[in-house]
Amino acid sequence: MYRLAFKNFIRSRSVIIAIALFLLTGIISILIGKQFLRQQQASIEAVTQLQQEQIARNVAHIPDQFGLLMYYLRFAYVNLPDPAASLAIGQQDVNSSIQYLTIRGLEGQRNDTGLYNPYHQLTGNLDLSFVILLLFPLLIIAFNFNVLSQESEHGTWSLVKIQVVQPVSFILMKLSIRLIVVLGLLFLLLLLAVLIIRLPVNERLLAYMAIAALYILFWFAICFVLISLRRSSSISALLLLSTWVLLCLLAPAIINNYLTVRYPVKEAYSTFIKQRDGYHTRWDKNADSTMQAFFRHYPQFRNYTWNSPKFNYMWYYAMQQLGDDESAPDSKAMQHKLKQRLQSAGLVALFFPPMHAQLQFTGIAGTGLEEQLQYQDSTAMFHERIKLHFYPGIFGDSAVTGENWKQHVPQYFHSSHRVNWVLLVSPFILFMLVLGAGGMYLFNIKQ
Amino acid sequence: MKQANIITRHFIKTIIRSRALAAIYLLWLLLVTYAAVTGYQVYITQDTLRQQFQHQARQSWEANPDKHPHRMAHFGTFAFRQKHPLSMFDYGMESYTGNAVFLEAHKQNTVNFSEAGFSTGLLRLGEISPAMLIQVLLPLILFFLGFDTVARQKENGTLKILLCQGAGFRSIIRGNSLGLFVVAFIFLAPVLAAVAVQLLLQHAAPGAAVLQRAAYLLLGNLFFLWIICIIAVCVSAISHNSRAALLKLLGLWLLMTIVLPKTLQAIGSAMYPAPGKIQFDAAVEKDILKIGDSHNPNDLHFKRLKDSVLRANNADSVQQLRFNYGGFQMQEGERMSSEVYNRHLQTLYDVYERQNNVSKYATFIDPLIGVKNMSMALTGTDFTAYRKFQDDAEAYRYKLAQTMNELQQKYISNTTPAKDEHPHSIGKEHWTAFADFTHDFPPVPSLLYQERLTIAAMLAWFILSFFLIHFTAAKATTL
Repeated sequence: MYRLAFKNFIRSRSVIIAIALFLLTGIISILIGKQFLRQQQASIEAVTQLQQEQIARNVAHIPDQFGLLMYYLRFAYVNLPDPAASLAIGQQDVNSSIQYLTIRGLEGQRNDTGLYNPYHQLTGNLDLSFVILLLFPLLIIAFNFNVLSQESEHGTWSLVKIQVVQPVSFILMKLSIRLIVVLGLLFLLLLLAVLIIRLPVNERLLAYMAIAALYILFWFAICFVLISLRRSSSISALLLLSTWVLLCLLAPAIINNYLTVRYPVKEAYSTFIKQRDGYHTRWDKNADSTMQAFFRHYPQFRNYTWNSPKFNYMWYYAMQQLGDDESAPDSKAMQHKLKQRLQSAGLVALFFPPMHAQLQFTGIAGTGLEEQLQYQDSTAMFHERIKLHFYPGIFGDSAVTGENWKQHVPQYFHSSHRVNWVLLVSPFILFMLVLGAGGMYLFNIKQ
Repeated sequence: MKQANIITRHFIKTIIRSRALAAIYLLWLLLVTYAAVTGYQVYITQDTLRQQFQHQARQSWEANPDKHPHRMAHFGTFAFRQKHPLSMFDYGMESYTGNAVFLEAHKQNTVNFSEAGFSTGLLRLGEISPAMLIQVLLPLILFFLGFDTVARQKENGTLKILLCQGAGFRSIIRGNSLGLFVVAFIFLAPVLAAVAVQLLLQHAAPGAAVLQRAAYLLLGNLFFLWIICIIAVCVSAISHNSRAALLKLLGLWLLMTIVLPKTLQAIGSAMYPAPGKIQFDAAVEKDILKIGDSHNPNDLHFKRLKDSVLRANNADSVQQLRFNYGGFQMQEGERMSSEVYNRHLQTLYDVYERQNNVSKYATFIDPLIGVKNMSMALTGTDFTAYRKFQDDAEAYRYKLAQTMNELQQKYISNTTPAKDEHPHSIGKEHWTAFADFTHDFPPVPSLLYQERLTIAAMLAWFILSFFLIHFTAAKATTL
């Protein structure tokens, strides 16, 4: 009987059309992901070449003043996207994944954005995570809304009731057929993604797959509850679609507005002004006080002479450093506020599976705010390393040719993200248990 | 006509009595209130903050003591983007555009700190604003309320009775559409009230331009809702039963709000690829170097420039010039690099424009895209408003750098001071004399011109809606 029911379902023309449409949309989304990766790759290649050229040109033009040369040279630090980013582009089209920095003050540079078309950002990317999060539930709703009401409306329900021992098992069977089809579609798309993008099959992909499958199961559980109410096909469709609007459109938007209002990031602006003032006002202050402040931060450079008759870049870079030092509290406060946003979002998302899935998708792909904050932290460390590497050369006015310039190629950030399986899975499992039990209860009392 | 009026009144009466409407309306009121309150708070917070920081930046600028003007050119200043009061109604692309930029000599910085950069992935699922409620949610509600207007009457046979009594199909469709439109207006009313309260509560009284924008905004949204009502009733009339009508309308809604806008933008971006920041900077640098490298002491362009200046002034060395040569050279460098940069930026924006035009033309098939574009333009939250800020900021930056260069030419000597001598400087009164940065929004007529395609498409939809009534009436059957 199962096979017959399966054939009966899959042979329907509208089902085939729906599956074909989803397959097409899915493939387009995979191609969009692939294009995104390619663009990122192109930018990385461009910056590698640019850095090499700029170093070569400036070293040739300024062979005698290390301090002046280092005013111009820039060094790239790249957040190399994981291939999984193509399946959930997340915020990676908003946040720049290349930091191209001089050794001057960090705060004046690290918040620089890329160039983007804001209209494109507003409409967002049609990536696979979007297809799964927003469109798959609609397919599930379209498949399921009349699973029960259709039987009543066509008068076959009374036949079913006398032929099977437990009517609920009949409904569950019908749902499971649809579940197999939807999961089959998902796995087919993921397989295509692996083939088209050449995704490595690793823990990330496994976690991505798990979220997608659990999310689909969650929507089947919702459908089960709502069809158990035994309303007409139209009312069921309305109820299911309203649930979708509420969970996928309104709830995240409401939460997002709340986060924006609750945590305005004014520290960003104050960091911006303070780093400028911290550095620039030093030009008008006593050089000795600047140097003493600098030596308090870096006592290891006390032995260099900064007040020789020749213009000394040591004082200049000390002034730059003080811009960072004076804006450091504000910069920290800004990072702290963003972490608060992140935590609040994660907490609320536990109660809304679409939001939970979205945050987990971007977490796995390394395209969320968390990864961005890590990258920013790591950028500060990179900047510090480069700076400390060059300080002795500048302060001692070493020969420019003494430096091995070949070694200064772009460096890469590697995220330390680990998949937290318990956090990932548990909200879905809990929801499904509650919804499953609720559905069974409703089904039985409505008999 | 009289029959249509009776049908309208009947439609409104039945719908107002239904319990479903009461529940939906209550939820609607809550959502409108939430959107209006959060929109107001964001506006007030950001507006206050940005004005405060703009002021702080100015204070730091004016607090500078006497110094060399080129130090001031590097000291630079900041431009903070002000929000339009109507951005409380529609957030548009504001969350994705930067809010503050550092303006200094020699360098065009990026506009930083967009809200999106501070956001979790949730932003990608959307924001709730009064405009979003009208453009996304209200059509869905109207489809919910309108899908069975005619189809239900078909199902229970009352349609035949109505037709026998002499009510034509046209009156039935027109009457029901009008009824649904009245319902739409009942939903629109609290939004209007909310926006009015928002505008009255904020700092400054709304000026004539704001009110004019608001009036056009209302008109555009009314057009849009009218089109939605007609679509709902016509689909209901051509469907065999209410279930089919509902499914068709839901499909249409999905296509209009979710699928089309995203797909079209993806097509636009794929058709006209735009360079990233690094590629852009590299291209600008390459073009500037082609003309001349001011950092290269042996650069031909700048050597030639110097020779020609010396010749024109009958001087053998820069020391003999009556103006500061360093200031002159930087003035020339700034002009040259700004020209190159602006040319590249214009090319980039042309690419963006071509990408966005794909969506823009699609207004002819999707009225939602049209009302969205128009709403963003009128609320000062579209790309043009952002560009206006960016252009104003760049113009100010250029003026700042060149003013400082002029001051240097005029007041700074060509001889380098010895190490123990006091460095060259000019009085600080020059800093206060240079006016603070301000920016404004494009005037309304230019917006209407910019959105002429959208307006034409919306008008076409409006005219089409009457044809739609006509053709549906001709095609519709009682079964």
